[in-house]
Amino acid sequence: MSARLFGQTMRWQRIRLLIVGLAGIGWGLLIPVFYNAFSDVMRDLANSGAFPRELMSFGSGSLFTLPGAITLGLQHPLAIAMLGIFAVGASATAVAGERARGTLEVLLARPISRLSLYVSLLLALLVTVLIVLVAIIGGMVGGSAIQGLTDELDLGQLPLVLLNGFGLWAAFTTFGLAASVTFDRPGPAIGLSLAYLVINYFLEILGSLWTDAAWTQEYSLFHHFDPGAILSGDVAPLDLVIVVVAAVIPVIYAIIVFPRRDLAAPA
Amino acid sequence: MEGTSSTAAITVRGLTKHYGSVEALTDLSLEVRQGEIYGFLGPNGAGKSTTIRTLLGFLHATRGEASVLGMDVASESVEIRRLTGYLPGGIALYDSLTGEQVLDYLVDMQGREPYRRKELCDRLELPASVLARKVRDYSRGMRQKIGVVQALQHDPELAILDEPTEGLDPLMQQAFYGILDDLRREGRTVFFSSHVLSEVERLCDRVAIIRAGHLMAIHEVDELLARRRRRVTLRWRGAAPDATSLPGLEDVQVDGNRIIGTLSGEVAGFVRAIASPNLEDLTIEPASLEEAFLEYYAAEETVA
Repeated sequence: MSARLFGQTMRWQRIRLLIVGLAGIGWGLLIPVFYNAFSDVMRDLANSGAFPRELMSFGSGSLFTLPGAITLGLQHPLAIAMLGIFAVGASATAVAGERARGTLEVLLARPISRLSLYVSLLLALLVTVLIVLVAIIGGMVGGSAIQGLTDELDLGQLPLVLLNGFGLWAAFTTFGLAASVTFDRPGPAIGLSLAYLVINYFLEILGSLWTDAAWTQEYSLFHHFDPGAILSGDVAPLDLVIVVVAAVIPVIYAIIVFPRRDLAAPA
Repeated sequence: MEGTSSTAAITVRGLTKHYGSVEALTDLSLEVRQGEIYGFLGPNGAGKSTTIRTLLGFLHATRGEASVLGMDVASESVEIRRLTGYLPGGIALYDSLTGEQVLDYLVDMQGREPYRRKELCDRLELPASVLARKVRDYSRGMRQKIGVVQALQHDPELAILDEPTEGLDPLMQQAFYGILDDLRREGRTVFFSSHVLSEVERLCDRVAIIRAGHLMAIHEVDELLARRRRRVTLRWRGAAPDATSLPGLEDVQVDGNRIIGTLSGEVAGFVRAIASPNLEDLTIEPASLEEAFLEYYAAEETVA
């Protein structure tokens, strides 16, 4: 681990992190407002049969309860995009981008091992993902407090929500960084990481919208992070184990492959 | 292959690097002594950068071994890079940073003080106003100058420079040569690759010639220059003498009272042999290292 490289990576991300973090807080604040404003209307609409109940849910979330709305807010494409900027974009380009630009060899000409480089980048990226996640969830809790709805949440479970959510997004981050240390150009690394994210997302959404395909959700990492369930007191420790395992496997791959790779002169 | 010396800065033995079926480097052996400037000469694609990247741990050798400053390149690469300054060929820098920020960042990562930065910036004409500009606004030559400074600013024991004068204008090339001369005087070792023969001739103590991944020869530069052929033009008063009587002269052409030929070997003996009151003019043009190099390759081609 290189504290200098960690610090520099954080410095390079700070403006983007500030903007996305503020957007995350804003999005989080809006979710309880939406719930407060529309949950009764949505429930009436669903009960009337005019609109299929499945289409009023999204992934594992819904607007019928505040915990469900929080899940919906974290599985919404906007939240995915905010977290994906770092978990996919920044991680997939972290090494492959430097490699393609030719700056990786300038950096590796310093007394820093590839393992140390990898660990420093990984920690910096995980911190950025955690900050965005905290911003979104913090916004949601803050919004619930402003709306006077905190009694609908089991706030004692908040650390577990953060831990489970962090495990989920750490899995995408470590996958992105593993792709990044594998390729010489950022394009394939971004493509592969994005495909991994989209496939997981697709399996979760498909299963939630089409009951015959509900089994596909089990194969999605998103299905193993249900903040609404946790905040309702329904804790599933296996979910945490699954996302942590999914996060650790790419790390093992990267620390085996990256130091052994040949880094030929950039084209 | 050379014998190993306890004062070797770089030792390479049987280094081979294959990319799949492509042989980038085959059985390369050489030794760079401490305190010398060693040129690594060859055309593009010869294997110069592959060798350098293997020495720095970017590439893993298929076979063979190498050590830098007494440390194994495979297992002690981090420590090697602590004591080394490296200028990659066609250096890329962080475009969003200023020149000064790049130098600060890289010396910070090096973990040493930028002892030589001010002197290097002065000599390479990089004033504070230029260093304050973003790298993206730099010309190729300015980037190369920053590359030279980042490689040498921490006063490394060994400088490994890949095509260091690429992009530098002639004035800056001279300034760079002066910097290397000073490093030599201070006992620093410099290993640099080039395909510019004149700078190898100007700077190096020894030169290794590499082609298609094979080491062709290692020479003292002085020896290589002494062995090279020279173009000789003799003008006589009256008729030229029998050209076969001129020792060491080859490829002879007689044009009236002029004899033109090429001379290999010692000059003094030739001058003594031709001394005559009838000799009106004598021109001996020193062949450049480039010619010696081309001759060398031509001879190898013929053998092959």
